[in-house]
Amino acid sequence: MIILLLILSTLCCSSSAASAENTVPNEQLQQLIQRVETQYNGDSAHALTTMSVSTSHWQRTLTMEFWSWQRERFLTRILRPAKEKGVGTLKIERKVWNYLPKVDRVIKIPSSMMGGAWMGSHITNDDLVKSSHVDEDYLFTLLHADEQRYQIECLPRPDSATVWGKLIYTIDRPTLTPKQIRYFDEDMLLVRTIFFDQLHQIDERIIPMRMRVQPADKPGEQTVLHYQSIEFDTGIGPEFFSLRNLKKH
Amino acid sequence: MLIKLAFFNLWRNSRRTLLTLSAMVISAAMLILALGIFSGMFADMLASTTELYHGHIVISKRGYQDKRDLYTNFSADSKTLNLLKKQPYIQGISTRLRVFGLLSHREETRPAELLGVEFSHEAQVTTLKQKLIAGRFPDNFRPDEGIIGSTLARRLKIAPGQQLVFVTQAADGSIGNALFTVCGIFSSGDQIRDASLALVDQRWLQELMALPAVVHEIALRIDQPLLAADQATVLQKLLDSELTLGVLDVMDWGELLPQMQEAIASYDISRMILVLILYSAAGVGVLNTFYMSVMERSHEFGILLAIGMPPTRLRHLVLLESLILSVISVSCALLLGGILTMYMQQVGIDLSDQMGAVTYAGGTIAPHLRAVHELGNYMLPAISLLMVSLLASYFPARRASNLQPVDVIRGL
Amino acid sequence: MDTISFAWKNLWHHRRRTLITLLGISMALMLTQTLHNLAIGSYSQIIESGVRSGSGHFAIYHHGYRQDHDEKMTFAVGQLPHTLATSPHIEFALPRIHISGLAQSSHDSRAVAIMGINMVTEAVVNPLLRQLPQDQWLRAEQPRDALLGRRLLEELQIRLGQKLVLTVQDRDGNLVSELLRVRGIIDSRIKQIDSTLVMIGREKAAEITGLHGQIHELAIVLHNAGVMPQLHDEIGQRVSKNDNIELVAWQVSMPNLADAIRLDYASQNVMLVIILLIITIGIVNTLLMSVMERIHEFGIMLAMGATPLRLWQLILCESAILGAAAATFGTVLGSLSTWYLVEVGIDLRDFISENMEFGGVVFEPIIRATWTPMWMLESALYIVLLSIVAALYPAFKAARLSPVDAMRHS
Repeated sequence: MIILLLILSTLCCSSSAASAENTVPNEQLQQLIQRVETQYNGDSAHALTTMSVSTSHWQRTLTMEFWSWQRERFLTRILRPAKEKGVGTLKIERKVWNYLPKVDRVIKIPSSMMGGAWMGSHITNDDLVKSSHVDEDYLFTLLHADEQRYQIECLPRPDSATVWGKLIYTIDRPTLTPKQIRYFDEDMLLVRTIFFDQLHQIDERIIPMRMRVQPADKPGEQTVLHYQSIEFDTGIGPEFFSLRNLKKH
Repeated sequence: MLIKLAFFNLWRNSRRTLLTLSAMVISAAMLILALGIFSGMFADMLASTTELYHGHIVISKRGYQDKRDLYTNFSADSKTLNLLKKQPYIQGISTRLRVFGLLSHREETRPAELLGVEFSHEAQVTTLKQKLIAGRFPDNFRPDEGIIGSTLARRLKIAPGQQLVFVTQAADGSIGNALFTVCGIFSSGDQIRDASLALVDQRWLQELMALPAVVHEIALRIDQPLLAADQATVLQKLLDSELTLGVLDVMDWGELLPQMQEAIASYDISRMILVLILYSAAGVGVLNTFYMSVMERSHEFGILLAIGMPPTRLRHLVLLESLILSVISVSCALLLGGILTMYMQQVGIDLSDQMGAVTYAGGTIAPHLRAVHELGNYMLPAISLLMVSLLASYFPARRASNLQPVDVIRGL
Repeated sequence: MDTISFAWKNLWHHRRRTLITLLGISMALMLTQTLHNLAIGSYSQIIESGVRSGSGHFAIYHHGYRQDHDEKMTFAVGQLPHTLATSPHIEFALPRIHISGLAQSSHDSRAVAIMGINMVTEAVVNPLLRQLPQDQWLRAEQPRDALLGRRLLEELQIRLGQKLVLTVQDRDGNLVSELLRVRGIIDSRIKQIDSTLVMIGREKAAEITGLHGQIHELAIVLHNAGVMPQLHDEIGQRVSKNDNIELVAWQVSMPNLADAIRLDYASQNVMLVIILLIITIGIVNTLLMSVMERIHEFGIMLAMGATPLRLWQLILCESAILGAAAATFGTVLGSLSTWYLVEVGIDLRDFISENMEFGGVVFEPIIRATWTPMWMLESALYIVLLSIVAALYPAFKAARLSPVDAMRHS
């Protein structure tokens, strides 16, 4: 909460003039981004989500249960459809395992397969492992600010292991929630966009309950992640995220 | 009349005729054999490359072979298959579904390529069945059996009889996963296949992938692999007209393995070099024998001229004798060369105790020297033998006709 | 002595026939020698190219690495490259790290084979890097430089200077990612290499994977492959202190290449046997004919009191002289053509556009011959021997002639 207040106050101070906006200290933008990036995490979180994926070849909807602990660990399990019930993913730091109930086996994803789609969505296994570290890997510039929104440009730090050329965050000013994140390649061509909407208040937080991933080169395709419910600080600790729990139905 | 005389001359000098004949026959027969072995090596390479994995001709949806996209599939319905079965030159037909994913056994997980096949059909097209080093080739009765490459098996630390998990994203986006039992391990000598390929039952894979009744390609074995390009063209026309799909591509191995075409180009060049070298060796011998056999008869020619034979007629006589002799030699050489080649084709020289299989231009050659019959290998030696012998007799013949009878007779 | 000068006179008397025979045999000998030298030359080129792009004349591995390619099987490199480099026979000792991983751009990702190298030595040795301009070399001061296969670059949709992220597994099984920039392009024309190879500095590779001071392979390249047998023991003694590692020659570490050459050599030997057979037929034939044509002459000699033994000697002597002359002349011709092929060679670029692969190795575009003096000498001696043996039967036949029959023979 202190951080939030800090950010709010800073943003208020540096409100109108564009020239002044660019002088916003990088740390504060970083904190803003961090807030956006960890909006679903909390110290621990437990959520129920549906994920709908449409590609040119199929449409499908999964209902998943989701636990996370800080940024480092998470566990998800498919509840529906029945065919895939119990399929789970466990991430601990930088390792990813899948559990397949049909054959009762746990499979560790090898590095060469990290580029593969996670659960058939437009999110890769690698996104799961890395995406929530934007605040550490990028340098920030405020592009635009008005009553309604901030636009923040994120340029990767020279040595950070990121494939993007730049990211542009559009953040809803009143609620400090993300509206969209655009991902660009090194030639600054748009590669994909993530949209956020359906704001909802959970405890003291306001978070978007819907997230939509849209690849730029395939306009007809998208992945929509919809939070049915989410609760924070449920009291589960890091020990919950174990291979044994991954295998539990 | 002249022919009669030529025959008479050859008959009279039967010993010399036999000598010349034997030299030419053996040289040419050896040439035929050498070319046969050379072609054999090449055919082996071609066969083992294409018959190990690809097949001679592959039918797939347009664009599939480029990207190997899961969705570029088609239904190999009975109409298509019956049409193919009716073609007399097609000896084997195997439909395949190709999927990339992860194979896992205990702690080990590796990326792999799975081919869903009907095992009895696959065995008619490719030779993986002969490459098994452990276990057995699956039959079609149990759907959850498969064979995998030797390097892959070692990396996964798996032995026949044990189970593997295959995980991939199915065609409906779901997570396809299932167990299959490894019932055999193959070692093809091709490092890439040995390290990544697995063959499983087609229905099993179709079900896993949520791709019922479709395949990615139909691989064919044909009777004359070297003519695959022509037959692919014919087949393409046939498919275009008979099946109104119009989207199926018929590719021969040359298109599937472009590096093989370069190997063919270099094969032609090296065959020419080889022919040149062998022919120079053989040609010089034949030329020599021929030249001598004419030269030695200067005395005889002198007498013929002295008793009034016109020089042109003498020249024709000499040329005719050579022609007769070389035609006889060529026929004998073809026969002998054919027998030798046949022997090398049936028996060959086995080198497998000294070496393993060899890759060349993406192909794999079995360590076995073997000959094959090929028309060109007979035509080339035959024609050049005729040319060489006529050339060899032309100069002596001209010389003979220019002789002064008096000098010749006095000279001895 | 008498026999020799008489034989010489005889050969001179029938100089046209002698000359033709001589020419025939020496041509054949020349071709055999040239073909053999050219083949040996191309083998040594292929081997050189193979060992330099592959695992060296000798390679040192952790036991079992060769079979399983398990990334955990590393060994401490220590001072090994430096101590080995002091040997006058060793050109370079190249420490290498081999890992598999994922290369990602903002557009796509591909599974790749990553090789950690020492740029400066590798550039001199490795044929894959020969066409790489110096301004595309990995720089020591820029550890994020990477060389990528051309096809891989296309598939990732990136260009020179752009970035990619490499994700690999470190020693503890954690996934680690590292930013790299495309510094140069590897264009081997071998699909497998061009679509999967990524080369980075060895220090960087060690840093990513946590393999400090550890390597998978130490490739040893010699100045001259001829010293391999003696060097095997020498290097073997130095590495034997460590039980975990093994020293293998290229024939073992690259069995495919060794087999390719063995198969080609076997088929070539079959061809050479056939050529020699053809030559043999030619010689026997020529000699038989020249004896046959001279039966009349021999008859006269016998009638004038020459013993059959002397006649026998004479014929053998004649063909020995002929054989020796042909062997000499043929070897001279063979040497000339070998010299040409050593100096100039055959330029394959006239025939084929792309690089050729053989046993997993890129062909050199210019094939050059190699001198094999012993083999040339042996083949020359074989020709002399062959001429003598070939004369035995005709000589035997001449010696058994009865003078009367012989003279009656027309």
